[in-house]
This record gives sequence, structure tokens and C-alpha cells, in this order.
Amino acid sequence: MSGCPYFQRKLLSTSKQHLKEDENDDSQSGINKASKGGLIYGDYLQLDKIVTSQVLQSELKGNKIHDEHLFIVTHQAYELWFKQVLWELDSVREIFISGHVRDERNMLKVNTRIHRVVMIFRLLLDQFAVLETMTALDFYDFREYLSPASGFQSLQFRLLENKIGVPHNQRVPYNRRHYRDNFRDQESELLLHSEQEPTLLQLVEQWLERTPGLEEDGFNFWGKLEVNIFKGLRREKENIEQKPASEMKEEMMAELIKQRDIFVSLFDEKRHDHLLSTGQRRLSYKALQGALMIYFYREEPRFQVPFQLLTSLMDIDTLMTKWRYNHVCMVHRMIGSKDGTGGSSGYQYLRSTVSDRYKVFVDLFNLATFLVPREWVPKLDPSEHTFLYMAECCDSSYCSSSSDDSD
Amino acid sequence: MSGCPYLGRKHQLFTSKPSQAEEEDESQKGINKASKGGIVYGEYLQLDKVLSAQVLQSQLKGNKIHDEHLFIVTHQAYELWFKQILWELDSVRDLFIKNHVRDERNMLKVVSRIQRITMIFKLLVEQFAVLETMTALDFFDFREYLSPASGFQSLQFRLLESKIGVADHLRVPYNRRHYRDNFHEHESETLLSSEQEPSLLQLVEQWLERTPGLERDGFNFWGKLQSNIEEGLKMEKHKLEKMEDSEVKQELLEDLNKQSEIFTSLFDPKRHEHLLSKGERRLSYKALQGALMINFYREEPRFQVPFQLLTALMEIDTLMTKWRYNHVCMVHRMIGSKAGTGGSSGYHYLRSTVSDRYKVFVDLFNLATFLVPRAWVPKLNPNVHKFPYMAEWYDSSYNSCSSEDSD
Repeated sequence: MSGCPYFQRKLLSTSKQHLKEDENDDSQSGINKASKGGLIYGDYLQLDKIVTSQVLQSELKGNKIHDEHLFIVTHQAYELWFKQVLWELDSVREIFISGHVRDERNMLKVNTRIHRVVMIFRLLLDQFAVLETMTALDFYDFREYLSPASGFQSLQFRLLENKIGVPHNQRVPYNRRHYRDNFRDQESELLLHSEQEPTLLQLVEQWLERTPGLEEDGFNFWGKLEVNIFKGLRREKENIEQKPASEMKEEMMAELIKQRDIFVSLFDEKRHDHLLSTGQRRLSYKALQGALMIYFYREEPRFQVPFQLLTSLMDIDTLMTKWRYNHVCMVHRMIGSKDGTGGSSGYQYLRSTVSDRYKVFVDLFNLATFLVPREWVPKLDPSEHTFLYMAECCDSSYCSSSSDDSD
Repeated sequence: MSGCPYLGRKHQLFTSKPSQAEEEDESQKGINKASKGGIVYGEYLQLDKVLSAQVLQSQLKGNKIHDEHLFIVTHQAYELWFKQILWELDSVRDLFIKNHVRDERNMLKVVSRIQRITMIFKLLVEQFAVLETMTALDFFDFREYLSPASGFQSLQFRLLESKIGVADHLRVPYNRRHYRDNFHEHESETLLSSEQEPSLLQLVEQWLERTPGLERDGFNFWGKLQSNIEEGLKMEKHKLEKMEDSEVKQELLEDLNKQSEIFTSLFDPKRHEHLLSKGERRLSYKALQGALMINFYREEPRFQVPFQLLTALMEIDTLMTKWRYNHVCMVHRMIGSKAGTGGSSGYHYLRSTVSDRYKVFVDLFNLATFLVPRAWVPKLNPNVHKFPYMAEWYDSSYNSCSSEDSD
């Protein structure tokens, strides 16, 4: 027997009878609305455009190669999803740029959309496995017909990079030199705007600088933290010094000194500015403080969603670099050490982009360097520090059902 | 420090002027070929068409809802991949229809393409997680603008079902009654052809009937299997009867009886015909024998790739039903018990399609009912039986680098 519960339930001795029973089932009732006119599926999705845009170059050139269809469809699917990511990204940037993010009721939307971008990137990562069903041999059969088309010419990919916050001067040389070459007129303008308009990184930076609790004449998180950390380190030192001399004691001392140096660097604003200029840090000193504040107090009601946002931003970086690496591995398998169709060195070039240069929210990752025992975190007093559980809802244009804000 | 090897290595040299060493790195060499003319990425992929096909109904009607874009792009991505699946499916069907499959050198191509289809289906099942980032509340905001468009009107989905081998008379009633209604003229013709032309199921059935070793005046697998099983069951029965009377002995004897009945049914062609007429079996009796043969002798060189094919076909069924169930769960969350935009009962209708009626290769799954101890499988003698290691490859049109066969 087939084992299907639905099937057995309806199974009677003749085929006609079993059909009759089916017909009375409520789940099968209904009419077909499409026959009454109105928008149908294919028109809604403009499938006439989508499903007719697969033209094989190998076929045009009289040597149709089967696997080229997969190559085309895979890239088109990537570009569809890039468009979706840009849609979400731009809507979030707009919420920051317009100042609407100051009304904390908008944080759910921001968080949800950034998380959606993360989910899409996960899918894009999984998508490599489909293209990997093509062998290098099959790719070789049609690759010659593609030149000089190359993923290097993907406008949406560049817009994505720029709008998230990849800085121009950090791009690897070949990338930096040539990535604008491919785009003219309107595309070139779009690209230029994406470099000039506020990036997600810059907007998040400004938002972090506004983190409640940083005010020196208020909670003064940074000042309190510095005091607590060095007090804590001093106590540790005394603890260790009391121990009898031994190799272990020396190692512990050395460890402590290393720790101390790390924290000294944390509270050295000049050092931060130096690292900013070399591109090793990307956020302002104040924004860094805001991020650390949100980390340490993430369970306070006001910081819960902001903490989720910081986590999602790191997820984006992680997934983008995994995407780059998956791409590298696949390209290596497909073309070995040959040059790319667009003119780059191919695999070697791509490998150089799997680098922290392209990690936009690198500072958030590095915060893990500065974690401290819970007791060193400045204590909060709920009766005094109300900012931890009182949100701001000051945006007069905010209306959860307003169509204006629906973007 | 950021910890990135590339950045660390170059960081001392990293001032606003790009360093000499960096620029001279081999990986950064290359020119930009696109500037010299020739097809570029965007043209190759007809991105002007693909990326201009997202028109929000909510926006047209003056109430732009942000999440509608995700809804559109998700469905368009599904349709792109449906096209790819149809491309692979038709090419495989063609190999069978043209009899090229009789040249066993074509089997690698067949299996690779069917496996590629399963990889795509895996991605399509994973894709639900992206659309699930939309809440029912957000969907409610724009759903009214979609009516009567519905996934029920997806032509490619129906073509897929028909070409794999979903039987018209086995479709659930609402499906059976209405699924043709949406398609007119050219689309309707395409749909009709897909129902009339040989489906994958029918082609695989004919191929299975040709499995070497079934010939009664040859190896006579079926005759030998039947006598081995009868012999084996008799011996088991004698062993059991020699046991001391006990509850365990009774249970074991009952189990043996059940087993005997199962095998009696296996060797009863009339019973098979009866189950065929009810739709509980889909393959011919001879094809079933071929499938069992391939299963038992899967390690013989000639049957290794055919065995992979049978596994991949079951994978397709499994993934399609998982796709249906994922869809059901999501729809339930999105619209509860409301009717579908296309006119069906919605969730209840969809749930009824998660059924073995739509399991095309159900017989391959059920082969597991008839597995026997290795010792009962008819023995092969390599001196006498050459067919397990000698392939046929007489297709005169076969040419591994021929462009004609490249489809």
C-alpha cells in the first residue's frame, strides 16, 4: 500500500466510487477565479520577460552547449536576489537618513529587514551547490563564447558593496583600479551615488554615537568602565603577586601584562585614530563605545533589539566573505589558474578579495577582544538610570499603518 | 588587530598612497577587457528585462507595501529555477525518447542531470526560509491587491508535474477539475503536449523493462528469485517449527506468515494489475522486476550508475513532497483558513496535495518491502553471466564531443 493517510482514507473498491467521496470533501470545494478576468500569476510576475531572457551564446554561435543554460539561470537568480537585498538595504538606510530611526518603534522594522538580508545571503551561499553540478569540462565547452562578460561587471554587486560600506580605498588594487570601468551613463551615476551617499556603516556609526549612557555628564559609561577595568586589573595583579614563586606564576603575570596592554590601547583615543587611518578600524571612537555599551547591557529592555541588530550586521559580513570564498573555490575548480573573462588574473584576484579589507563591521567582531568579567561592568541602578527601559517615540510622522512609512 | 593575513602583511605599507609591493602583486595584474567592446555581463543575462519585472500592485494602487517586493522576487526566482528544471528534464526525456539511452555511455549524462534537478529542488525547499521572514500581518497589507493571481496558475509548475509523471486521474479533485482552466491558446497547447508526450516515469518504465538479466530464456532473474525465496521461507519455517512451544515461537511464526503473504503478492501478476488500476502502483510488472534486479545487483559495474539513477528519482519525489509541505506550512501561517486568491479552499486544498497520489516513483520506495537476505539473491557466475560487466554502446550518433548530443 502506498502508506499515505489521505489516500487510504478514500480508498474504496472501485475507482469511480473513490472519486465520488473525494468530491464531497470540503478541501476540494472552490471555484476558479482566474476565469473571471483580472490579474493572473504570469502577468503579475511579468514572466514573459523573466522566462524569455535565457539566450545561450553557444547556441547563437552555432554550437549549443547544454550546461550554459544553468550558468545563465544561476546568475540571473543571483541578480534577482541582489535586487531584493538592495531593496531592503535602501529602505533601512532611508529610515536612518530621514531620522525616523530616532523613534524607537522603527527598530523592529530595521532589525527585521537586516535579518532578511542575512537570510537571503544564506540562500545565495547554498546556491553554489547547484552550479557546482557543472563540471569544469562542461564549462570549458562554452566558456569561449562568454568573453569578455564577467561577474566583475555586475552593477548590483558593486552597489551592494558600496551601500553596506566597503570603502573605495580599501579595495584590492585590481578592484580599485578597474571596477568603475564597466559602467557608463546612468549606471555610472548610480555607482557614484552609492559611493557618496551615507552607507549603512556610516549611518550605524552615527546611531551608535547616540547610544544612551555614553554622556560624560550622564551615566558616563566609558569613564566608569575605565575605572573599573584598571581597578580590577590591579586586584588581579595583587592576587598573583601573593602567590609563591613558580613558572605558573610567571606565566600568569605575563598574561596579565598582555591583558593590561590591550585595555590600555582600548582607552587610548589617539591609537584608535591611528588605526582608523590605516583602515584597521572603521567606526569612530564614540561609536565603538556605543557598541560596547550595547554588548555589555544587551539584556536591558532598551538594548535588546539594538543588540540583535549588531549581531545581524556581523552576520552580513560573515556571509559576504563566505560567499566570496565559495566563489573562489568554485572558480578554482572551473578554470584553475587561467585568467578571468573580464581580464583579471582570475582565481588569484578573487582570492585576494577574501580579506578583512572587505569586512565592513570589523570593529564589532573585534569587540570580543575587550570583554571583561561581568563584575567589572559598571553597575546600573534602575531608579536612577531610567534610560535603560524607557524608549523614545518622538517621531511625529510615525504611524504603524501609514503607507508613507511602509517603505 | 584584524587578524587578516593579507591586511597584516601589507599594513605597514598602507598609507593613502598604494604601496609599490601591493601594486606589483601578481594577483592584481590584468586589464579590463570590457572596455574593448563585446558582450558584457548585463547584456549576456538580459538584466534589463529581468530586473525591470518587479512591479508592485500595491504601489500601482497607490498604497505601496514594502514586503510585496520580496513576494514578487521570491516567486520569480522559483520560476527561473522551474525553467532550469524543465531544461534538464526535457533533455533527459529526449535521450530516452531518441533511444540514445541504449548507448550506455549516455548514462552519466542522464544521472548527472537528474541529480542536478534534485540539487535545485533542495535549494527551492531552502528558499522558503527567506519568504518566511515576511509576517502574516505584512502579507495582509498587500494581499488584496493580488487577487485573483495565484500560484495555481503557474504553467511551469504544471509542466513539471506532467513531465515527471503525475497522473491526471490521480490529482486531487479541485486540482483535476481546474488546473487547465487558467491556460489558453499557446500555453494550453504546451500543457496538453506535456500530458501526451512520454513522461519521465513512462520512459524510465520502458528502460527498466529492458534491464539485462530479466530474460526468461536468459538469466531469468524473476524465476530464480521466486524459487530462492520459496526455498528460503521453507527453511525458516522448519527451523521455527523445531523450536520449543512458546509465545516467542508463536510470534515468530506469525511474522513468517506475514512475510510469506508479502512475497506471494509480489509474485502475483494479477494483483499487480489490480493495484495498477487503482493507482497504488505506477510501473509495469516487468519494470518492477527490473528495478528489483538493479537494487539487488547494484554493485555490479553495469548497474552502479542505473542504481544511482533510481536513487535520484526517489529523491525528486521526496523533495517535491517536502516542497509541497513547506508551502502548506507557510500558507497556513500567512492566511490561516482563508480561501486562496485563485479560488481554492487555500490551506486545506494544499494540504490534500501532500499525498502519495503525487508520488510518481512510489514503486521504487515500496521495493523496500521486498528486500531479502543477501543469501537468497540468485547467484551470478562471471564466466557464464557477462551482462553484469559488459555495457552496450552501439549508438552510431554518439560522440562525446558532438554538439548535437550536447543537448
